Amino acid sequence: MADIYTQQWYEEVKNAINNKVAGMKKLPEGTWQIAIEIVGDGVSPYVLQGQERHFLASIDQGTCLWYKEIDDDTEQQDQKIKLDYRFRGNASKFDEIAAGIMDPIDAALGGEIKVKGDMRFLLRQADQVQALLEAYSNDVSTDWPKGKPPY
Amino acid sequence: MITQYDVIIIGAGHNGLTLGAYLARSGLSVVVLEARHEEGGGLSTEELTYPGFLHNVHANYHTFVDLAPPVSDLKIREHGVQYVKPEVQMASIYPDNTALVVYDDIEKTAASFARFSQKDAETFLRLYKEAHGYVDLLLGTLMFEPPMSVKELTKALSVFKVGNRSQFLSVKLRKETINQFLDEHFENSKIKAHLAFHGAVCGYGNNIEGLAIGFPLLVGKINNWHLSIGGSHRLAHALWRDLANHGGVLITDARVDGIVVENKKAVGVKLQDGTELKANKCVVSTVSVEQTFLEFIDRKKSDDDLLEPEFVNKVQNEILHQSWSLFSVHLAMSQAPNYIAAEFEPDVNKAWVVNLGYDSLEALNDDWDVIAKNGLPDPRPNVAVNSLYDPTDAPDGCYTGLIRQFAPYEIGSDGPAAWDEISGIYGQKCIDAWAKFAPNLKDEAILKWATYSPHDITAKLPNMVRGDWMMGQITLSNMLDQRPTSELGGYRTPIKDLYMAGSTQHPHGFITFGPAYNALSVIAEDLGIERWWREV
Repeated sequence: MADIYTQQWYEEVKNAINNKVAGMKKLPEGTWQIAIEIVGDGVSPYVLQGQERHFLASIDQGTCLWYKEIDDDTEQQDQKIKLDYRFRGNASKFDEIAAGIMDPIDAALGGEIKVKGDMRFLLRQADQVQALLEAYSNDVSTDWPKGKPPY
Repeated sequence: MITQYDVIIIGAGHNGLTLGAYLARSGLSVVVLEARHEEGGGLSTEELTYPGFLHNVHANYHTFVDLAPPVSDLKIREHGVQYVKPEVQMASIYPDNTALVVYDDIEKTAASFARFSQKDAETFLRLYKEAHGYVDLLLGTLMFEPPMSVKELTKALSVFKVGNRSQFLSVKLRKETINQFLDEHFENSKIKAHLAFHGAVCGYGNNIEGLAIGFPLLVGKINNWHLSIGGSHRLAHALWRDLANHGGVLITDARVDGIVVENKKAVGVKLQDGTELKANKCVVSTVSVEQTFLEFIDRKKSDDDLLEPEFVNKVQNEILHQSWSLFSVHLAMSQAPNYIAAEFEPDVNKAWVVNLGYDSLEALNDDWDVIAKNGLPDPRPNVAVNSLYDPTDAPDGCYTGLIRQFAPYEIGSDGPAAWDEISGIYGQKCIDAWAKFAPNLKDEAILKWATYSPHDITAKLPNMVRGDWMMGQITLSNMLDQRPTSELGGYRTPIKDLYMAGSTQHPHGFITFGPAYNALSVIAEDLGIERWWREV
């Protein structure tokens, strides 16, 4: 079990997603470049208030090829990475999703996690997207007590 | 004179100008052709009564400000548009002179609802907060992307179990009317009438099956009504400025004779004065489907199989238009309305928009029935006094007033021309209906007034066929990728390099920018234009 946002934890996320995809009959189509922006909200100890942590990930046919933490958007722009989706929200909400106590669809529908990008693609592949979200929320272990972040 | 452009756009309403500006910013040479003497289409502001009184002849309510991407992409505000979001957005005054008020502040709105029903106030607040949460996500998906099919959307809603997550949004709404939605969730007839009227003003008839699916979104932006300082036409100017700043050309008084088609491809436009303009890449029509395919395409001269007979038949007979139109009275006034209902709710005198007289869904339904039979209902209009929030739209100490009344396009069996005879009489009735609630609006308070009938709408803007200010009825069968027909629902047409990008297309009329923005995506894909907009 890994503490959230550590290298080990991200490896587990990657493996969980890829294991889920390996079992799918129909794979999500295409390659997506995704940015995840976690905003410190004074609640989560993992991102201090006033600070942000930004991550990039590349998904191809549903499989996570790579991910990395970047210092800021400059690095992304320098490398001319064209994003398909951007997810942005308060750190405590991302923590709750990882803990399985907040549903990621609820978070997006409720506006707590802002999603930018072509939603039609995600809606058209709803079955596959749902499976990937379940892998993130339910199939990754943390060293938190079950059902809640450690704060 | 340059007669060759990359893109020729027919119609300089807000969609034609918006599309032109994006394409010009993308480096293409663009010309926008407008039959009238000025750009704007429905963004028309004129001194219909006296000089200094600025009347918005068509579009008055801007409800997509800061929701529609072009507002920021095209730097509308930097080009001179100033929007104000009135603190008291809207009110309904009922026959007993009680009143309900919608504020910019939604908690105050709920408090106003609570005077009629505490339970409904709580329901409204839950509905608003839920809908407001997903306005960004769903509005972006449903209005500012080329449309998905109802089937695809339904499946996605089902997979994501939206019905279980939401108290209000569910798949079953696609089979319900707004009336049914309101009856299911609300108890007070006045509150239901207010919400239904709000939907109708947005073009969503409360008794049309399937429109409940869009109703939560309407509620989610119920307090996002904006007024353009100095008149709605300012927005048209701003869009034109952006077009011109990037090398685009607007030609007014340019009446289209026909779209030139060679080898089944649109290659140019011929004007009635004989001018021929060549299009290197494409031609885009933002006017009506009927004008585009029945008037502008010379089917006799073109290839025999250019348009399938089935398609032509659809255009001739099956385009769905709103079954009701709007009759307007524009007023120059020396006083603002002082409502009797101010004794019950003082803030009604500060309301920008006021709905007069509907206290139940049945009352609204009764009027729809009258209108469906080409009859004139006793006026229960929607009125607006822009001067309460825009001191520039009338001389000092004066006010500009607007009355809007639901009305048929044709009157009885006498056709639309009968409006020319009856407009004055019906206009006076509308003013009397307003004065019944605001008795000061009589005699010297009304300096001058002018009517604008459904017949006038089509005479001035022929693309609004049969007084259809929405340029196509809003119904489930005329939504998303089926609007205005299955062949045209994706902004492409049966003729190569000819596109549709006006309010006939998804999402619909109103100042949404949606048809142009979505057509832009399709055209960009076809022409290989690199997108600088919609940065993720």
